[in-house]
Amino acid sequence: MTATGPRRGGQSETAGWADDPGISVERPATIWDAVPPISPRSEREAEFYSLEDGEMLLNLGPQHPSTHGVLRVVAKIRGETVVDLDPVIGYLHRGVEKICEQSDYHMCLSQVDPLDYISALHNEWAPVMAFEKLFDVRVPRRAEFIRVLVAELNRIYSHNLYMGWLALDIGGLTPVLYSFIERDEIVEMLAALTGQRILFNYFRVGGVNWDLNPEFLSRLADWMSHALAQVEANTTLINENEILVKRTKGLGVIDGKTALALNMTGPNLRATGVPFDVRRAHPFSIYPELEFDVPVREEGDTYARYLVRVDEIKQSIRIIDQVINEMPDGPVMAKMPWKITPRPGRAWAAIESPRGLYGCYAMSDGTNRPYRMRIHDPSFNNLQSLQPLSENVMIQDAIAVLASLDPVMGGVDK
Amino acid sequence: MPDLSRGPSTPSAAPPDSDAEPIVVPNDFWSSSNPAAYGGGRPPSITHLHELEADGIQGDNGRWGRLDVIPARSDILLDLLRVNSLWPLLSGLACCAIEMMSAATSVNDMDRFSMFPFRASPRQSDVLIVAGTLTTKMAGPLLRLWEEMPEPKWCVAMGDCTVSGGRYKRSYSVVQGIDRIMPVDVYVPGCPPRPEGLIYGMMKLQQLIVARRGRWAERAVGPRPPRKWDGMNESGGEPGHEPEWSPVSGGAR
Ligand code: SF4
Repeated sequence: MTATGPRRGGQSETAGWADDPGISVERPATIWDAVPPISPRSEREAEFYSLEDGEMLLNLGPQHPSTHGVLRVVAKIRGETVVDLDPVIGYLHRGVEKICEQSDYHMCLSQVDPLDYISALHNEWAPVMAFEKLFDVRVPRRAEFIRVLVAELNRIYSHNLYMGWLALDIGGLTPVLYSFIERDEIVEMLAALTGQRILFNYFRVGGVNWDLNPEFLSRLADWMSHALAQVEANTTLINENEILVKRTKGLGVIDGKTALALNMTGPNLRATGVPFDVRRAHPFSIYPELEFDVPVREEGDTYARYLVRVDEIKQSIRIIDQVINEMPDGPVMAKMPWKITPRPGRAWAAIESPRGLYGCYAMSDGTNRPYRMRIHDPSFNNLQSLQPLSENVMIQDAIAVLASLDPVMGGVDK
Repeated sequence: MPDLSRGPSTPSAAPPDSDAEPIVVPNDFWSSSNPAAYGGGRPPSITHLHELEADGIQGDNGRWGRLDVIPARSDILLDLLRVNSLWPLLSGLACCAIEMMSAATSVNDMDRFSMFPFRASPRQSDVLIVAGTLTTKMAGPLLRLWEEMPEPKWCVAMGDCTVSGGRYKRSYSVVQGIDRIMPVDVYVPGCPPRPEGLIYGMMKLQQLIVARRGRWAERAVGPRPPRKWDGMNESGGEPGHEPEWSPVSGGAR
């Protein structure tokens, strides 16, 4: 070893570069770069963005595999515990309501599909019911049966994906593979009927687009033959996994009163012991004639929210069974003139989507376009409860709470 | 003992223009049944690819020795590696993301075509599959993701929304085609495309990577907003105009 070479380590020539005033070193990017440099707009914001000793802000998203789309969550953490949490939404705001105001009524039905993109048929159902009230159309009975049939299929695949994603966010990869097998089977079946795999665009004002076809029915029969067994198999993967059960039990507990005050609906509300289901509370379509239970749990924690959905899948299979057996003959589309404009007026219709009460409020001014169309999406209200639910839990448990609420950002941001 | 007083990687020989020593692997486990074949077993006179190409003879005479040297260009090998391990970034924006996940899971299984793991970090991924509607609010974060990805990187626009705005052509908050803010290599139209469509697009991307070999430097990497060109009329263009950067031919002309 000679002493003439450049010295390694210690004081090399570049050791002092950070102190050199000639070199400007930018301060590292922090979360403050993501916060717009404006004064806080509300007391809540001022309180949230002022940190006490030992607290820091952690940014999650908008691109993050476990935020279910493009949700951004700013978490205020102390150590690994979430002290406070601020969801930032709007990354998927596509202006659907405004587009609907410029489209005529049946064009609206294709525009509302991508809102809550895992339950496209429910997205169409609420507007279609509101428009039928405006147009004063009576839907043929067979069309009602077909609507219930496809909507329940849609609910099943949505809940299946929920099961997979909940496990995925807690760290188990396998269930999501199985739930996608199930999901692909159902969407291929619906694609045979509607021609699309996600945005079905099947409901029309006054009925549905096509009657059932043999391919759909044979795929349905295939699937029905193993549907319940498949649900059992998929839930075994989760229910009998000790890690998952231990992590979700007693996590994110909310009681019924708070849930109602936060305007939660759907399975998230029913997991707290409030048996509110639009299909029973405000019956629509042919649900009063069908026999099914509204699954309710008392605990209100993440595990209960999961179990309620599993029970709902079973109830949906029960409904499908009845619908197939009692399906009447007849037309699937009401007799309507080609060109029809509604009376001026307003209509509200609500249905039970996989995430809760999904409503549509349509206002007509007598032209062929809605004057105003407002979509009420349950994901938005359910997402509000993320902050109270994930106070004082670990960061990774906050992710599990978020997954258990099942928000779909397309519906939140519209 | 090596002389440490020299810098770590100063090559000892050769002015930069001359050829490096060929690596000759003697072939002692196989010989032709015809002893006159392959130059009769003489040591090769052509040892470098450019000599072979300058020779102009690509037939038997172009061969040399007894399979002693395998000429290969490093970019051929690199492309082989790149094509066979495309790591997409796990970034779903909207409905199309569900179909992207469906393409990655059991039924459609993209792994079979060597588009293997969906990575959650842009630092580890090669392909950005923009699956879903890109809104103006999301455009900044997405562009940042794209810039965080190391070269070589590719972009696949999945769905009508990202290709051209699609059903949100009339919307006030949607970027009308992501090629307004970043270069795109493959467009997969459809609302949503089937998973098979996405896989087909990714296979097209694999062909594209090979076809674009050796022209890396010409490829655009940053945002490329549409520009006004000479003779563009008010209503938006002129038929027969060729854009400056074309994803198919790769690189500026
Ligand atoms: S192209 Fe269609 S399916 Fe894809 S994100 Fe846009 S609206 Fe959704």
